[in-house]
Amino acid sequence: MPTITFITAEGKQHAVTAEIGRSVMEIALEKSIPGVVAECNGSAACATCHCYFDPAFTEAIGPVGEHESDMLDFTAAPRRPESRLSCQVRVVDTLDGMTVRIPAMQ
Amino acid sequence: MAHAVPVVSDIAVSDLLADPYPIYKRLREMAPAVYVDSARLALVTRFDDIMAIERDSETFASSNPGSLVNKVMGHTMMRKDGEAHAMERRAVEISFRPGTIKNHWAAQFEATSDRLIADIESQGAADLFDTLAAPMASLALIELLGLKDVSWQTLACWSQALMDGAGNYSGDPEISARATEAAAGVDAAIDAVIAWHRENPNPAVLSSMVNAENPMNIEQIRANIKVIIGGGLNEPRDSILSLTLGLLSNPAQRAEVMANPDLGPLAFEEAIRWISPIGMYPRRVTRDVELSGVELRAGDQIGLCVGAANRDDRRFDNPDSFDLFRPKQPHLAFGAGPHFCAGAWVARQMVGRIVVPMLFSRLKNLRLRPDAPARIHGWVFRGPVSLPVAWDI
Repeated sequence: MPTITFITAEGKQHAVTAEIGRSVMEIALEKSIPGVVAECNGSAACATCHCYFDPAFTEAIGPVGEHESDMLDFTAAPRRPESRLSCQVRVVDTLDGMTVRIPAMQ
Repeated sequence: MAHAVPVVSDIAVSDLLADPYPIYKRLREMAPAVYVDSARLALVTRFDDIMAIERDSETFASSNPGSLVNKVMGHTMMRKDGEAHAMERRAVEISFRPGTIKNHWAAQFEATSDRLIADIESQGAADLFDTLAAPMASLALIELLGLKDVSWQTLACWSQALMDGAGNYSGDPEISARATEAAAGVDAAIDAVIAWHRENPNPAVLSSMVNAENPMNIEQIRANIKVIIGGGLNEPRDSILSLTLGLLSNPAQRAEVMANPDLGPLAFEEAIRWISPIGMYPRRVTRDVELSGVELRAGDQIGLCVGAANRDDRRFDNPDSFDLFRPKQPHLAFGAGPHFCAGAWVARQMVGRIVVPMLFSRLKNLRLRPDAPARIHGWVFRGPVSLPVAWDI
């Protein structure tokens, strides 16, 4: 199983093994990583699981969907090129070693 | 060891309607779930429990064979789970996206709000329930749905009649008859415009429904339009009034919001935490399960009291006070999980960015009337039912 490292807004690192096929949001909740709220639990409706994903993994993560992109324009923390809704990113083998930064606000 | 759900028999529905918060506090302290005789439901009142329940829709289902909502409105997405729910939800989502709201609906909401405020501007006093909040919410919903030739009063009547029908547990024939009549009215209003929406794709909900990747059939359209009418009118109406009341009662916070309109959305979130327009909604337990130490049984009907969770003092300091500067953290006024309010972004834009800021900037020295205090009512749905105000002219 790939290892993903979450980095909180305070800079604390949490390296976790992630089950393939789950969403990165689900992994964060399961491992009680602070700062991923996920009010809508993966429906891409609330924009409270916003994270900044390691740009080196952009291709492995896959493209931003149209609906997701619309939501990303309304996140509490500023949108950046590496912004994604973590509920829309599925864990695959090639994400091993990826870091995910959690913004200060959701 | 897990305990059985305690039963409470001394709570009258009239007490819940008048002021549920002291009762919620008692229930929160008593147990994770408490069966309240008069409500015929086990009420869940703690924040963390509701969040956990909403993350497990297999154990805690929205679908319910005996649901009155289904009887009155048809089989709506609000009472479906899993892919059946997700597919119908996707078919309307585009109308409610934050970008669609900002780029398309905001200008219409602004024009409506402007007109309603202009109508009362020279009067110096009004009850904001029927002069602003109710017509605003109703007119906005007519536009959002894509209905034509329906007055705001008619839509408001339909909404109330459908909701009364959905809550008609005693089977009152008069309430049933009014709900049936409203349902027929909604069906006719849909029939009058549906062909037009099919031929003229636009951001309205009816257009999204017929032009989606998986278009809804006419039964799905009828049921889901009814549930949006039933559930989409009182929440923006009530939150306009609660936010206005919160700011009028707290002059320092009001001054900050007037100086910095970007605080409007934050104030809105606090208003719906403080008085959550939807205070309770039901779920059905599908298997025996333990909830924070109490035993729930398959078939149990539970009521998730988000109005109580949003005042859970394990979570919020001084939960009964309106304080938009409290540490920012999530609330449950929009629910959680797959049924998270589809209209959340509409309400944020309409109430927090448009109507309430416009009200305070246009009506000078807006103030409550000590001789005519605001009245707040309800528990399943709660909000001000009268908000008399005065201003300088």
